[in-house]
Order: sequence, then structure tokens, then C-alpha cells
Amino acid sequence: MARAQRSSQSNAVIGAGAKLRGRVHGDGDLLVEGAVEGDVAIRGDLTVEATGRLQSNVEADSVTVAGTLEGDVTARGVVHVRAGAKLTGDVRGESLAIDEGAEFAGRVEADFELPAELAELGGARAGGRRR
Amino acid sequence: MATTVIGAGITIEGDLSTDDDVVVQGTLRGKLTARDGVVVEAGGSVEADIASGPAQIAGAVTGNITSTDRVDLQNGAKVVGNVKATRITIADGAQFKGSVDMDV
Repeated sequence: MARAQRSSQSNAVIGAGAKLRGRVHGDGDLLVEGAVEGDVAIRGDLTVEATGRLQSNVEADSVTVAGTLEGDVTARGVVHVRAGAKLTGDVRGESLAIDEGAEFAGRVEADFELPAELAELGGARAGGRRR
Repeated sequence: MATTVIGAGITIEGDLSTDDDVVVQGTLRGKLTARDGVVVEAGGSVEADIASGPAQIAGAVTGNITSTDRVDLQNGAKVVGNVKATRITIADGAQFKGSVDMDV
């Protein structure tokens, strides 16, 4: 029952207690509740739940982190770091949201339009934010 | 339940181990260890040795299957490898090449 619900919500789930050492790639969403060591490259949304732990470079459409992620993040959409999350690595995305209570150490490279006067100074590149 | 699902379109290359269930609708290459059940659905493909509890196979498996419980090769299954289990069923329409060890 729970299984049917899960799989319709999310294309792939690494369940809590599951350990994966290897690569994940393909089309579809990925939900991580367990531990993953290895690179993730998907055309779909990646969600790391509070129990989830990733030691991997990540490439996905949108990335939501509520657990632990050690590695660089490349997103074609939004990167959202939720309260309680621990993110160590560089983030490259369309936009980035960091909730209060999240831990983040790394550089941010977001593609967005800067006001003309700033763009002249530094180009369209956001500075790193560290905590 | 913390079921692990490998959705259609997703490919995992590596070792996957869990205390719970695994459902494969996509592709897994490497090694699969589940304390609980493994389901390989039609369209799913596993190129790995499987060690698990009860296993239901309706997709393709290339590799040895070792189960502490039963193994059901269902209609449409294509299994190349040896199967070791306490009980095994091979349904009409299942393709199987390998040996069976039922620990008699």
C-alpha cells in the first residue's frame, strides 16, 4: 500500500536504512531517505529527506535538501536547503533558498540577472556565502 | 516501511543493500542485498547477484539469486543465473536458464 503511494509520488526511492555505493542516473525523480555514496545525475527532482545522507556530486532539475549532502550540486532549477539540513559543497543553480537553521559551507554560483550597475562590476555571478 | 524503489528510467550502478524491500522497475547493475523481499517488475532489469528474502521476478535478471525464502519466477520473467531458495515456482511463460538449488 505504502509502496504504491511512494512510487507514484516519486520515481525512485532509496529507503531509510538502505545503503547504495555507486552511481544513479536516468530520467525520473529520486528521493533519498537512506545513504548514497556515489554520483547522482538525473533528469528529475532530487529530494534528500532528513534521514538521508549523500556523499556525492549531484546533478538534477531541482534539489531539495533536508538531510546531509557532501558534494557539489548542479541544478537546472531551484536548490532548496531546508532547516536542519547540512550541505557541504558548491552549489550551481538557477536559484537558491536557504532556510533558517540550515548549515551550508560552500560556494554559490547562481545564474540570475544582476542590476545593470552591478553587472558591469562583476558579471552575473553571486559571491559565496559561508556559515 | 522504508521500501527502496528503483523507478522506470532510473539506472543504478553499484552495490545496494537494505534491511527492507526493494522494488526494481528500472535498471540495477552491480550487487543487490535485501534483508526483506525483492520485486523485479516487468520492464525492470537486474544485472547483479541478488541476496534477499522472498523474491518475485517478472522482469529480467542476469545473475545468481540466493533467497532465504521463496523465489517466484512469474510470467514474463527472464532469468539467466542460478537460483538458490527454500521454495521456487516457475510460472508458465517464464524463461529460465540456470540451475536450481533447493538445499534438500
